[in-house]
Amino acid sequence: MDKAWRPKGPNAPDSIEEVIGWLETGKVSPAEAFRLFADVEQARSPGAAAPPAGAAATGRAGAPTAQELRRVLEEIHGLIGLDRIKELIQELQAFVEVQRRRQAAGLTAEPVVLHMVFRGNPGTGKTTVARSLGRLFKEMGVLEKGHLVEVERADLVGEYIGHTAQKTREQIRRALGGILFVDEAYSLARGGEKDFGKEAIDVLVKAMEDHRANLVVILAGYRDEMEWFLRQNPGLRSRFPIHLDFPDYAVEELVRIAEHMATRRDYRLTDEARLELARLLRRPEAAGAAGCGNARLVRNIVERAIRRQAVRLVRENRHRREDLMRITAADLEGALAQAGVPGEAGTPPGFRSDSGFDLLRQVTAFMATEMGNNRRAAGNGLPA
Amino acid sequence: MPTAGSGGGGGRAGGCLIVGQANAGKTLFLINFADHMGVKDLDLDVTWPDGSRERFRYPVARARELLVDDRPHTTRGLQAVELQLPRGKGCKAFRLCDTGGLTDGVHGAADVRAAQAQALRALRHAELVLHVMDAAAAGSRDAAGAIGEVDRQVAAFASLRCPYAVLANKMDLPRAQAGLMKIAREFPSRRVIPVSALDGRGFREVKAFVWDHL
Ligand SMILES: Nc1nc2c(ncn2[C@@H]2O[C@H](COP(=O)(O)OP(=O)(O)OP(=O)(O)O)[C@@H](O)[C@H]2O)c(=O)[nH]1
Ligand SMILES: [Mg+2]
Repeated sequence: MDKAWRPKGPNAPDSIEEVIGWLETGKVSPAEAFRLFADVEQARSPGAAAPPAGAAATGRAGAPTAQELRRVLEEIHGLIGLDRIKELIQELQAFVEVQRRRQAAGLTAEPVVLHMVFRGNPGTGKTTVARSLGRLFKEMGVLEKGHLVEVERADLVGEYIGHTAQKTREQIRRALGGILFVDEAYSLARGGEKDFGKEAIDVLVKAMEDHRANLVVILAGYRDEMEWFLRQNPGLRSRFPIHLDFPDYAVEELVRIAEHMATRRDYRLTDEARLELARLLRRPEAAGAAGCGNARLVRNIVERAIRRQAVRLVRENRHRREDLMRITAADLEGALAQAGVPGEAGTPPGFRSDSGFDLLRQVTAFMATEMGNNRRAAGNGLPA
Repeated sequence: MPTAGSGGGGGRAGGCLIVGQANAGKTLFLINFADHMGVKDLDLDVTWPDGSRERFRYPVARARELLVDDRPHTTRGLQAVELQLPRGKGCKAFRLCDTGGLTDGVHGAADVRAAQAQALRALRHAELVLHVMDAAAAGSRDAAGAIGEVDRQVAAFASLRCPYAVLANKMDLPRAQAGLMKIAREFPSRRVIPVSALDGRGFREVKAFVWDHL
């Protein structure tokens, strides 16, 4: 069951006490109550714009609430870089809203066609934006659920006649009410006319007609490949009226992304760590191996640094809150190599297996401390 | 601004709060941790969801019999003890408070929900949070729900407010090691302390954590 656990029934709460009241009467679960706490606190935080008067009161049960909508918009706004995309999203939101009002006023409304093409390198935020758009469309009442179903060629294309249509329809069914996000969509045209990929495209196009009101399809992939793909399938261009380009991130943006990732997990990068990270990201290996401007690389680096920090803290036997939060330049040492970029400190053993290994080391380290051997453990085989 | 005070039986503010899903081992941890600190007779200060208070005094063995059970939602109120935490020449007194078990879904029984509401209120005013998870359940083949949405929410909520640690409990059981790994992976930036409320492993580290942060 992928039951959305955000409550549909109650209006936006005004206070924490109100949420706790809902918990007591069984209107929300404890998990939902925490989520609503966050809503209440966000609405009250000094940084948040004051909600429009009566915003909470206007949200009918199950209807989009102004507060939720603002949350999603803030979230999109909080994405780093992507200024052009944010503008476009704002335009989209306004467009949908105005068409709705026109309809309500008895004027002819433009059909709202929201299928899109996302062009850009991996790690430039395409999936993140798609996910936020899903929630936005849900809050705006455009999509019923707003969830994201990510697929690629192998999920759509089958091995024999008829198989492809079946597979593609199945994915579409999963995506109904939300967004079907086709990654590396150009690969559907890879095999030419006789390839089953063509069939998948046809089924997709038909589904877009049949479920016009309740499905958004996003085709994503590298810029040049997507251009080529649309040239191969001229019919597609008009069906996907919205095109978004995802530029590579600049090093400064990547560093901000890293800080953001760290902060979200209650970590802080020291100034030296920030400088060190920028230095690493400017290295030719970083640009060459992972595609320059890659947020995924940054995430790997941050996660790796968090694990290194844990090992360091256990070794140094530090427990203070500030220590627990602080990521230093030393924690970034060897980060490129460990994040799957060769060239610095030899060839890495692949990021995934490394993460399991580090976790084991971490747990072992905890155990070692636990057994009262912390002093010995520190000088005894724990990684330096 | 969050309002202070404990409207509707929130219990005394502050102190070190034990929270977690039902049956994670919160109450057994409270009792055996007190036992570990040399308490012979447990002086329990219980606040019921309706705001009424009662005091009970039990020998620790009797407390285990009465208050710990493998059926979920045994605890239906806030039960606190005052503990002395010695270290070197110093000593810190603190209040350790157990709460009713949380759930991912809405519980059918009103008194269980009332206890959950009480736990959430207490969480807002806690000075330190120990979040107990059942590592053995998390490591078992049928691990659905052992690390719940509510656990993620508690972690997100509490860790921004006060010192916060996850106690990966029941480490004496066979599948717990795998569960510990899962928990550590799920909460990569949190302090995770492997413990057994039953045999007392990990208590030393919990003591150090409380001492350092309270
Ligand atoms: N093997 C083992 N069992 C434990 C451990 N901790 C708790 N248990 C058992 O788990 C069950 C639940 O323990 P409780 O302490 O009552 O759990 P609780 O979290 O207080 O549960 P509620 O009050 O119902 O929310 C009991 O049967 C305990 O004996 C542990 O570390 N190891
Ligand atoms: Mg209990």
